[in-house]
Amino acid sequence: MSNDQRISMTAPIGRRRFLTAVGAVSAALAAPALVRAQAREVKVGYILPVTGPLAFEAQLALNGLQLAVDEINGAGGIKSLGGAKITLLPGDTQNKVELGNSEAARLIDQNVTALIGPFSSLVAFSVRQVTEKNKTPFLLLATVADNVLEGGLRYCFRMQPNARAMATLTVGNMIEMAKNAGTPIKRVAIMHEDGNFGTTMGNHVEAFAGKMGYELVQRVPYNLRSPDFTPELSKVKASRPDLLVISGYYGDSKIIAETAAKLRIGVNALVGLANAAYSNPKFITENRELTDQLFDGNYWHNPQSARARAVFEAYQKRFNSTMSNHGVQGYQVMFVLKDALERAASTDREKVRDAIAKTNLTDHILTQDAIHFDEAGESVNATPALLQVQGGKPVVVGPARFLEAKPVFPVAKWKG
Amino acid sequence: MTWLFLQAVVSGLLLGGVYGLVASGLSLIFGVLRIINFAHGAVMMLGMYASYWLFVLLGVDPYLSILVTGPLFFGIGVLIQRIVIEPNRDAAEHNQLLLTLGVALFFENLALVLWQGDFRTVRVWYSGASFLVADVLVEVPRLVAAGGAVLIALGLWGFLRTTDVGKAIRALSEEPEGARLVGVNVARIRGVAFGIGSACVAVAGALVTPFFYVAPDVGESFNIMAFVVVVLGGMGNFLGALMGGFIVGLAESLGAAFLPGSLKQLVVFGLFVVVLLLRPEGLFGTRRGR
Repeated sequence: MSNDQRISMTAPIGRRRFLTAVGAVSAALAAPALVRAQAREVKVGYILPVTGPLAFEAQLALNGLQLAVDEINGAGGIKSLGGAKITLLPGDTQNKVELGNSEAARLIDQNVTALIGPFSSLVAFSVRQVTEKNKTPFLLLATVADNVLEGGLRYCFRMQPNARAMATLTVGNMIEMAKNAGTPIKRVAIMHEDGNFGTTMGNHVEAFAGKMGYELVQRVPYNLRSPDFTPELSKVKASRPDLLVISGYYGDSKIIAETAAKLRIGVNALVGLANAAYSNPKFITENRELTDQLFDGNYWHNPQSARARAVFEAYQKRFNSTMSNHGVQGYQVMFVLKDALERAASTDREKVRDAIAKTNLTDHILTQDAIHFDEAGESVNATPALLQVQGGKPVVVGPARFLEAKPVFPVAKWKG
Repeated sequence: MTWLFLQAVVSGLLLGGVYGLVASGLSLIFGVLRIINFAHGAVMMLGMYASYWLFVLLGVDPYLSILVTGPLFFGIGVLIQRIVIEPNRDAAEHNQLLLTLGVALFFENLALVLWQGDFRTVRVWYSGASFLVADVLVEVPRLVAAGGAVLIALGLWGFLRTTDVGKAIRALSEEPEGARLVGVNVARIRGVAFGIGSACVAVAGALVTPFFYVAPDVGESFNIMAFVVVVLGGMGNFLGALMGGFIVGLAESLGAAFLPGSLKQLVVFGLFVVVLLLRPEGLFGTRRGR
């Protein structure tokens, strides 16, 4: 044998013969690999603003996605697909509409079974046309605008609460809690950034006033790049509200809370509404004193669920930070897809779409009942949690059945 | 109501000082180079990052960091002018405009690559310091920023009045041909002017870091207002820029306190358009004869 080898190595090999040999060997090696890849891989694409102004938040969501994928793959993949592993394919929108479209098209071209993303409602508006046209399931992540699912979409689903649910349930939870604490909320003021996100929230809080029996005494839209909010907050203070609701992004929300504290704003509580800062672990760590007893209505995990606690520990261990609302959403949305893949037993987009539409998932980590979708693709039971920062971390103080700790209300420090 | 009015006036004046310093730099650059520098806000952002990193890595107080960032950004300004703007002196005006816009986008994206979109804050012991005068809130870091900005702007004004370089800068901004004829090194002075303008805005950046945040697009918070201020004060009018800063600060603040919704923006930009239409030389400008 070794003799033969030596002979063949020293013997001149024609180019054609060499190529044939190499071809044969690689074909022999590759063929089973191809078969295996087809059976054992489910491609899932994400389109997130991983660079650009929302890079920080997008990374948190991506962490959640990755954590879920590794958990699924580690536990033997999609069982109905012979243990197929999920492969995450990246797409970066930079929070730009045109990039959202091209990245979605590229991923669809690469044969993804489903797409997850894209944060911005504006980007979602545009990408949904690409996914509908290509009949590709599109699971929205951190997209709140109410009308994203309007227009009879077939392939678009939203697991988290939309703006309406977010606003009405958060304010509702606050009012309920205040009533139980014996200090009812009658006068409400809201400050919101004047973009699509904040304005939608403001509209709901205004429209909800009649139904819930509070008076909206001040509504202040603001430019999120404004370097100073003292005059706006002074106006709020002068209108003597019991509750100040703040719907904004990170930097603006930080300055607003700081200024409100210094102005001795005189409310019973400050509550964020889908606020990007007030239940953000980084914000809390950096502003311990300021954030103490701050409320926020946001997506969250169910503190009563053992699984949620385990996921939190795994996240903490792997990324060395507390899992945030975006991480929770990323993690859970991947399991919604996993559940659908198991039932579809196929990577065919149409079959997966039908399976998602029939979702009835009770084993989840959110503060809500079973996850299932209505005709439009909205999650019927989606509920934001009411959080309060206590002892340097956000704890669930509402709805009552998910209670993690008793709410501190009224908050003495805002009373001034 | 009186309380709300007083509070708005105080807030507006404190903010206006910073606007004034940012706009002074912009105005100086316009006066000498005759270009609208869109990169001004981006330079401010870089200045804020410089102060941030000096604080985080070396524990340098943001106010003290001015001693480093001032000269550093003077140098960076001179370099930007030498490398990017001077070679295009003779290009059409809109090309020069686009060039500064390109520099701004380059810096912003560079910051995104280097430091991500993350919001960063400088927490110093005086960050939260504030006091009340007759119930009117005065935040100490904002007071220091406004006071510091005014002092620096006035110091620069003195520099422009009394020194040879200052006189050359003024000569160049008032009568470029004449300055060249009497032997002013025009290219060098243009570099110096751009350097001073950049140093101004970097220093303004350092002054706001104790109460603001640092992020790649943070310059935009001040940049647009600085344009309004420069127009109000008169393009190229240094002291006018300082006064314009206070006017814009007050307009914004009173608008926020007494007008519904986002109307305050409308007040400021309405002022901008009206001044451009009725008094293009600015509120404090003198008509420039040619």
